[in-house]
Amino acid sequence: MPHEALWTGIVCPQTAMQALLRLLPEDFDLEDALAVHDTVGGRTRVIEVNRAAHRLGVHAGQVLADALAIAPGLHSLPRARKAEQRLLEEIALRAYQYSHQVAITGDGVVLETGGSRRLHGRLDTLLGALADDLAQMGLITRLGSAPVPAAACLLARRKRHQAKLPALRKLLSEWPLAHLALAPGELRKLDSLGLKHLRDVQALPRFERDRRLGQALTRYLDEITGHQQTPLVYWQPAEQFHQRLELPVPTIRSEALLFMLNRVLEQLHHWLQVRDRSLTRIEVEMHPEDQGPVVELRTGLGQAGFHRQRLLEILRLKLEPVRLQSAIESLVVRAESTAEQPPPQADLWTGTNVNDAWPALLDRLKARVGEEGLCGIAACSDHRPEKSWKWSPPGTTTAVCETPLRPNWLLPHPKPCQIKSLTLMDGPERIEAGWWDGQDTRRDYWIAHDRHGNKLWIFHEYKPGSGWFVHGLFG
Amino acid sequence: MPSSNTLEQLLSARGDLWRGRQRPPVPSISTGRAALDQQLPGGGWPRGKLIELLPERVGVGEMELLLPCLAEQTRQGLPVLFLAPPLIPCPQSLVRHKLDLTRLLIVREQQYTFWAAEQCLKSGLCGAIVAWPASADVRERSVRRLQLAAENGQAPVFLCYAPGCKPPASLAALRLAIRTGGALDVLRGQRGKSPDTIRLNASNVVSLTTRARS
Repeated sequence: MPHEALWTGIVCPQTAMQALLRLLPEDFDLEDALAVHDTVGGRTRVIEVNRAAHRLGVHAGQVLADALAIAPGLHSLPRARKAEQRLLEEIALRAYQYSHQVAITGDGVVLETGGSRRLHGRLDTLLGALADDLAQMGLITRLGSAPVPAAACLLARRKRHQAKLPALRKLLSEWPLAHLALAPGELRKLDSLGLKHLRDVQALPRFERDRRLGQALTRYLDEITGHQQTPLVYWQPAEQFHQRLELPVPTIRSEALLFMLNRVLEQLHHWLQVRDRSLTRIEVEMHPEDQGPVVELRTGLGQAGFHRQRLLEILRLKLEPVRLQSAIESLVVRAESTAEQPPPQADLWTGTNVNDAWPALLDRLKARVGEEGLCGIAACSDHRPEKSWKWSPPGTTTAVCETPLRPNWLLPHPKPCQIKSLTLMDGPERIEAGWWDGQDTRRDYWIAHDRHGNKLWIFHEYKPGSGWFVHGLFG
Repeated sequence: MPSSNTLEQLLSARGDLWRGRQRPPVPSISTGRAALDQQLPGGGWPRGKLIELLPERVGVGEMELLLPCLAEQTRQGLPVLFLAPPLIPCPQSLVRHKLDLTRLLIVREQQYTFWAAEQCLKSGLCGAIVAWPASADVRERSVRRLQLAAENGQAPVFLCYAPGCKPPASLAALRLAIRTGGALDVLRGQRGKSPDTIRLNASNVVSLTTRARS
């Protein structure tokens, strides 16, 4: 059944500020006067201010030097366009969970909600859920809906919802032109022509409009009023999760770094959800500001899946022993994932997942002791006792062949001993092997007692050297 | 006195009567040796308790002592952890003792012994834990922490001190000294320092047998 298209726009008021605030450590005092500045045409101007800065008299458009003169305590950060773009992508990723038609349009994100309306019952429920999700991400956003994508973000700025096209046209025609997303130059031109509202522009003959205002502007006005289709490039979640974060304030504190990583993990969580994948491995690179050595944290997961708290704990364990030499200015996070997703099985009583508790324990131990430090033990098919065992990955082993009696403990290297102080009890067991790999060995193994009654496993070597050695302990 | 004797007989005949001088039963796991089970306070290795072993030398009999219990735990599908064993546990010998090697997990780093033991206990998934901490890491606080962690779980925790290491005063349920030749002394049982110190002696370590104290 064809549905009536409805587009919901999401805009972030103060995008530049919010994008930077997301990257500031948690303990950053939000009561401090904060501004974002940008350099346009050789002049550095303040573009966004927070409330505290506003109270001090700093306002957008002010030259940074003036602003600092008025408010010496002002923190001003340079605008980070990359961070803004990433913020929009984060929003798009979230929106992708509600609709497959998502697009980033310059200042905001639009998504098609007409098609999902039936699933959510009423539009209000859908918008409510979306707003909750965005609030959970720690973002201040505004939502608006319109039947055409170009108008969705305009309405979002004013928090208006208009589902029908005629009503939208009527609403827009009443709006002052300053409410539209027009460049300052265009606004000045329209103003000088005495055009104040959209209806004034629409009243002009089409030919006149094109000639005086230029085709681009006419086209834009046609798009927002639904007279012309808006070409949209639909946004798709990336094939691979790869994030690079530039920290506005380089930091050496691991708590601050973990806070950033937590933010990335949150995104990773959404990415895994929309791509329907499970995490198998995560790699974090930390680049210090002075081109020093890159700190790398890598961790593989015993069982594919995603548990943010657990993963964060593993990263914390990995980060703890690392001694940071200098402040970190950027983080790169890469994730490997698999399409197989085991269904989570929660315990009926505790609500926790019992199945993955064991892999989680292994992951935690591995994070501290290293991949090599945690292992099982397996037998090798070699007659020489020192080659008859090996460390194996946890939980695995090999079949063990039948052998004569072996001691409980093997010494890593046989130790020479005095045969005079020992009493031979049982033996010999002749072991002659290794002629094929150049370590030709001929030994006679005995079970012996020492003076205290301890039972030892000793051998008399004939080849390559000669003498008596202890090789194991029966204790 | 014949009357009190009768009373004693009457009381002890009743199975449903608990008297203060008896200790409540401690959940335990058989040591795999009937003779030793009889001598231990709970009739075996107490579950959820810390058991301290003080071998006189490395490999003097600690593995032989624990293997029956560890093997039984792995056969029940419960993982057994070796934390920083001082030598290499021989896989052929472990299998001979019917230990399921797929359930055996070894942490080779000695510096994280106490931490790893605590993590394993917290998870509540392990069948038994045997830890060989470095003498330098053995502090009253860490042993105490481990003991508290053990009490939340079902697994016995064996803390095997390095020879010559002076163990701190602790509240472990059991403290056993293993002497050369495989003799076993219970230094501390559930009742504090046990007056009836058991002496397990053996012609060799392979089969520990009890012998009445002379």
